[in-house]
Amino acid sequence: MTKENKSYTQLAVEDFRLTKEPYYLEINDEVSLFEAAYNNHIPVLLKGPTGVGKTRFIEHMTWRLQNSVGDAPSDGVPLITVACHEDLTASDLVGRYLLEGDETRWIDGPITRATKAGAICYLDEVVEARKDTTVLIHPLTDYRRLLPVEKRGELLEAADGFLLVMSYNPGYQSALKDLKHSTRQRFISIDFGYPDRDQEAAIIEVESGATPEYSRDLAKLAEKVRNLKEHGLGEGVSTRLLVYAGKLMVAGISPRRACQVSVVWALTDDMEVQRSIEEVVTSIFDE
Amino acid sequence: MPESYVDRLVARYEEQLQGFGASLPEEFKKSALLLDGVLGESELDQWAETGIRLAGQSLRAWEAATEYFRATPVIHATIGFQGIIAWAQLAANIAEKSSLVAASFIKFTPSVLEYLTLDDLEEWSLQGDRLFRGNWKSGTLSAAYFEHTPALLKFLPLASIEKLVSIIDALTERSYELASTCLESATRIFGELESSDREPFLGFARAVTRASWADTRLYFERGPSLITSISPEHRADFLDLSAKVTSEVGRQAFPLFADAAESLGQLSEDTHAEHILFASNIAIGSPTAAMEYLKIVPFVSNRLTSEQLRRWSAVGEEILTVENNAEGAEAFFRLESTRAENSLQELSSRIELASINTLLRMYAKALTGEQVGIYSVEELVDQNIGWVQESVATTEGSSIYLPPFVATFDEQEANFQSYKVFATHQTGRIEFGSFRYKWNQPGIYTGSTILEREESAQSRREVSADSDEVSPSSALTAMQRYFNVFDERILISGIFTVVEDTRVDAYVSREYGGIRKWLRQLQAHEGNRRPRVENMPLRAAFVENLLRTSLGRPETMRWPTVYREFLESGLAALKIVEQDDATVQDSAEAAAAIFDIAQRIPNVTPAMSDGKFDFDSPSEDMLSIQPAMPSGDGPPLDMQSNDQEIEFENPPQPEFRGDFKPELVQLLARLKQQQEGQVDGEGAPLTKEQLKELLENSVEITIAEWAEGDLDESLGMFLENLEQAATPSGEGKSDDDSKGSDESSGGQGDGEEQELPMEIDWSYYDEWDFRASDYRPRWTRVGQRFHEAEEEPEFYEETLRRHHGLVMETRKQFEMMRPEVFKKIKRVEDGDELDVDLAIEFYIDKKAGIGPTGKVYNKRNKMERDVAVAFLLDMSASTDEEIEKQRQSNSNDDDEDDFDGDPRKYFQWLAARRASQMIEPPKRIIDLEKESAVLIVEALEAIGDSYGIYGFSGYGRDNVEFHIIKDLEEPMGPLVQRRIGKIEPIRSTRMGPAIRHTIHKLNEYDAKVKILIMVSDGRPQDHGYGKDRTEKEYAVHDTKQALLEAKRDGITPFLITVDKEGHDYLQQMCDDIGYEVVDDIESLPRRLPTLYRHLAVE
Ligand SMILES: Nc1ncnc2c1ncn2[C@@H]1O[C@H](COP(=O)(O)OP(=O)(O)OP(=O)(O)O)[C@@H](O)[C@H]1O
Ligand SMILES: [Mg+2]
Repeated sequence: MTKENKSYTQLAVEDFRLTKEPYYLEINDEVSLFEAAYNNHIPVLLKGPTGVGKTRFIEHMTWRLQNSVGDAPSDGVPLITVACHEDLTASDLVGRYLLEGDETRWIDGPITRATKAGAICYLDEVVEARKDTTVLIHPLTDYRRLLPVEKRGELLEAADGFLLVMSYNPGYQSALKDLKHSTRQRFISIDFGYPDRDQEAAIIEVESGATPEYSRDLAKLAEKVRNLKEHGLGEGVSTRLLVYAGKLMVAGISPRRACQVSVVWALTDDMEVQRSIEEVVTSIFDE
Repeated sequence: MPESYVDRLVARYEEQLQGFGASLPEEFKKSALLLDGVLGESELDQWAETGIRLAGQSLRAWEAATEYFRATPVIHATIGFQGIIAWAQLAANIAEKSSLVAASFIKFTPSVLEYLTLDDLEEWSLQGDRLFRGNWKSGTLSAAYFEHTPALLKFLPLASIEKLVSIIDALTERSYELASTCLESATRIFGELESSDREPFLGFARAVTRASWADTRLYFERGPSLITSISPEHRADFLDLSAKVTSEVGRQAFPLFADAAESLGQLSEDTHAEHILFASNIAIGSPTAAMEYLKIVPFVSNRLTSEQLRRWSAVGEEILTVENNAEGAEAFFRLESTRAENSLQELSSRIELASINTLLRMYAKALTGEQVGIYSVEELVDQNIGWVQESVATTEGSSIYLPPFVATFDEQEANFQSYKVFATHQTGRIEFGSFRYKWNQPGIYTGSTILEREESAQSRREVSADSDEVSPSSALTAMQRYFNVFDERILISGIFTVVEDTRVDAYVSREYGGIRKWLRQLQAHEGNRRPRVENMPLRAAFVENLLRTSLGRPETMRWPTVYREFLESGLAALKIVEQDDATVQDSAEAAAAIFDIAQRIPNVTPAMSDGKFDFDSPSEDMLSIQPAMPSGDGPPLDMQSNDQEIEFENPPQPEFRGDFKPELVQLLARLKQQQEGQVDGEGAPLTKEQLKELLENSVEITIAEWAEGDLDESLGMFLENLEQAATPSGEGKSDDDSKGSDESSGGQGDGEEQELPMEIDWSYYDEWDFRASDYRPRWTRVGQRFHEAEEEPEFYEETLRRHHGLVMETRKQFEMMRPEVFKKIKRVEDGDELDVDLAIEFYIDKKAGIGPTGKVYNKRNKMERDVAVAFLLDMSASTDEEIEKQRQSNSNDDDEDDFDGDPRKYFQWLAARRASQMIEPPKRIIDLEKESAVLIVEALEAIGDSYGIYGFSGYGRDNVEFHIIKDLEEPMGPLVQRRIGKIEPIRSTRMGPAIRHTIHKLNEYDAKVKILIMVSDGRPQDHGYGKDRTEKEYAVHDTKQALLEAKRDGITPFLITVDKEGHDYLQQMCDDIGYEVVDDIESLPRRLPTLYRHLAVE
């Protein structure tokens, strides 16, 4: 390796801090709710359809908390995110031994690191994880705030800033994959619905840089499309997609075309539903 | 006086003539005297001799002779003596066979000679003679022919009459009565026909007679009037064409002719030439196609411009001439071909509601967030709840009613966009709250004055002691109460409609930039079609002008400049609701203010107040008026006259806005609530009296029978209809809903209702016409039905018992079947695959001194099989056939030797056989199908595959029965067992649609492997499934096509026929489709599971 110039930075997760405030528009009272929960060590479950800003919200909250705690980069609250999937094992979360020469060396998993660093540990799409994995967090999420590290025969007490947050999209889960009650009832649940038209327009405008008119029209479109939920649309159109559409428009793509690729086709393969949505698009946008 | 030669002549013959009827000598004498001096002596002798010879020819020939003597003096003038002799010879020839006919011939000769020459007479006599066959009836007919000829000759030359004779002659072979009716009516008919039509008419008549003699009468009766609808210059061509066609189409000739003539009658005459020419061209390749073309033209030209029609026909012509497919062209012009439909649709600019119904429904759902039904206005009118105009869009609050088609513009796109505008305006009423008027609430731009208005109205009414007026508190809805305030209901209702529609349109164009353009276009279109203001009385003109402004055409307003303030303040009020966020409350206030203005305008016509005002174009100021609430009352418009006021009528609504009936909609909503048991604050349940009051006062209702007859009765009916309409979805609506769509009709949610005995779900499928090489679109209708079978619960059990061994065996075989799909199970202590990651981790952990268990293997494990199979059982009448009978006849031949000629053995066998038949009734194919079904159920339950069992039968393409015995997703249970027991042979076998419906079901079902197994006796047969009952090709082709469709959809089709006698028509066709003939029919129950294993596992 001769290349000297590092074009990237490598950081330990707990050392990563956001440098500028992630934009988040409060829809209800979720900001104050979260703050209160955080201060009281109450784990939080973020519930809602895809692309309504759950991840953005948690980033935003981390930034807020970080800035309320102190100024130094080492201060504040790190955010450690784990994307859950069905092969996720306890070792993946807690840590494992590695072989180094003839020796073994222990390395912490993300949840262990978060516990130690007093970070917010964000388990995204938690229902995807196997149930025997999820029970692992039970002692961490009640009054004990303890993480058993089985392989080392240790118990870790969570640092003060630690909080476990999970996200969960109730829309498309089968009954099989639902959360266990004992898991669920360890969290308060903040519901993320779709923003109303004005709020969504504001988000689109900020996020995509589209004109206020287009942003409003996109929000209107979203509202109309969401009315079709039972018609073969598994889910309503997400704010994320609308932001995409806005960005395409800013880039000079015609609104109708932008909506076609980022809303109509992204939502469904059913031709009839596609056509209906397209008609709504062409009613709202004139080109 | 010396005796003349004639006297002597008379004297000479007098005696001879005595033997005949009295008239003979008389006529002889009379004519002889007349001929005296005209004929020479020897001529006279010859003349008399000829007559007397004639008289003597037969018993009654004296009559002919009488006529002879009578006629000769007359015709001598034209044909001379030689002519008479020649003519007499003709008569004599006839008289040899029949003196009666001869008499007629002779008698009518003088009149005929007005048209014919001597030379023609022979021809004429021969024509008559041709009809004579030596019997009495033919004699009468022949005589009648001579009698009618003089009249006929007025219209037809002799050569044409000959054609008529040959028609009549042909008819005599069937019916003398018919022949003589035709002959008798001929004069009238040809008299009525244009001279140029006569010859062609005859030509076609001849053809008809040849093809289908009985139709001649119909043709003679109806033909003349039928062809009057065709343009005179082209009748002959049309008749020639029809005649040409006849030789090909035979019996169909007359019906085709009649239909085609009627069709042409529906078209404007100047197009006839083109159509007939086109038809004549294709008649060369296919006469039927030519006539079908003429039949379909009116239908098609309703949808296409003439240029488009030309292009459409060209497609059909190409099928005929280029592809050389006559049957294809026929199907095309019959519109029984997918190609025909598609090309019609592509070319047509007209949009049918039916084709975009689902689309619009979803569109409306998206816009309003409510489940909005889209229906054709025709249906709303049928409900008779107060909406009557069939052509305009409207909504009753939860459904949108649209015209059945739109063809206003030349481009398809524009017509489609019109539908969108219709739909958007109607959903706009819902979306933007037109029906959500609340009593006495302020709007965004206006306060509420309605309470004050109500009070003053009340005191006004008390003064006028009009005790009949409704008291305000009794109003059922806010809207009703609002309208009650105004003394002129029609006026306020019209104004409120204009104002509210203005608001909705303004909203629509603000919110939906994409259709703004089309809304404008439609508005302009409507604006151009407005009735003339100048012809309206003043107050109506006022409302009309507001309407024009609201259509975006203020420049078309016409109003007397002298009264400009009236219109200006009206416009200003109207502008209020065009502003952002204006609500229905604003509309109500603005409407009230405009009402005040309108009331001050007398409704007089310009003519009556002549000279007093002129209608002028709007000034610049007027065009740029700003929104403002008019300031209070003013004095009435000063007409200084006592012109008579005309009763006020609202100007007609533009089509796309359609009817607006907020009062009724609110009432419906109220009724709905009441039915759903939510009695809100607004009060107790509605009484009939209250309803009646509302309906009587409302101006939104026009009931057809309103005026006539019993008011109470029609009101009662109306109320019933209303209540029905208010009933929660599914129940009130007619079941037309389910037509044309596969979705089962709604009505879920109110499930507690008792079950209907049998519910039929209709679906439509195309059918393959191999002759046309095209599908016939939506040709068959399949009715799917569930049986709530109650009978024969024991059949299933019984079969299980009887075939215990077989059942066990099959089950075992199935349980052993190797599943072919595996799924990995991770982290097990023992398995067939080592997981390297886990193994390393385990090793490290071991090293680190922790000892977790060694779950480092992955295992491939049996996954649930993912097979879905549909069994389709033939339930046609032919499966009723007994199997025993077949076997019996066979065994008699084969087994004879077994008895070794020993009669005792034979009787033993016979007795045993009888006994067994006593216990078991003879088995039929259907019984075996049923037993197989039982077995397969047992087998599949053992293996766990999804399966459905269906039976099919029916009669005709409209009524293919599809019986669900067990649906794919339905669990096995006693109900299914009973349904199996109930399978019975029913009617015919239209396999194609049954297969297509099964494909549809399999497509809906989620499985990796899909199989369709049809069990039948191999005889597709149904009414109209082929040219006639014996033709199998059509049915077989369609069946095969359906099976190929299955393949195309990833379904494995397999056919099993249990035909032993070689009735199997399918086999030769289905070379590339899995197929088996089960020879030993009774082995079917055993064979089926084996086959299945093959199919599902291979
Ligand atoms: N309230 C909000 N404020 C700001 N941006 C938002 C908001 N809601 C949604 N967004 C935008 O939507 C995008 C998607 O949001 P995000 O990725 O947080 O969704 P999510 O809920 O985490 O979805 P998923 O469940 O799929 O992970 C964000 O990038 C942001 O642009
Ligand atoms: Mg996320």
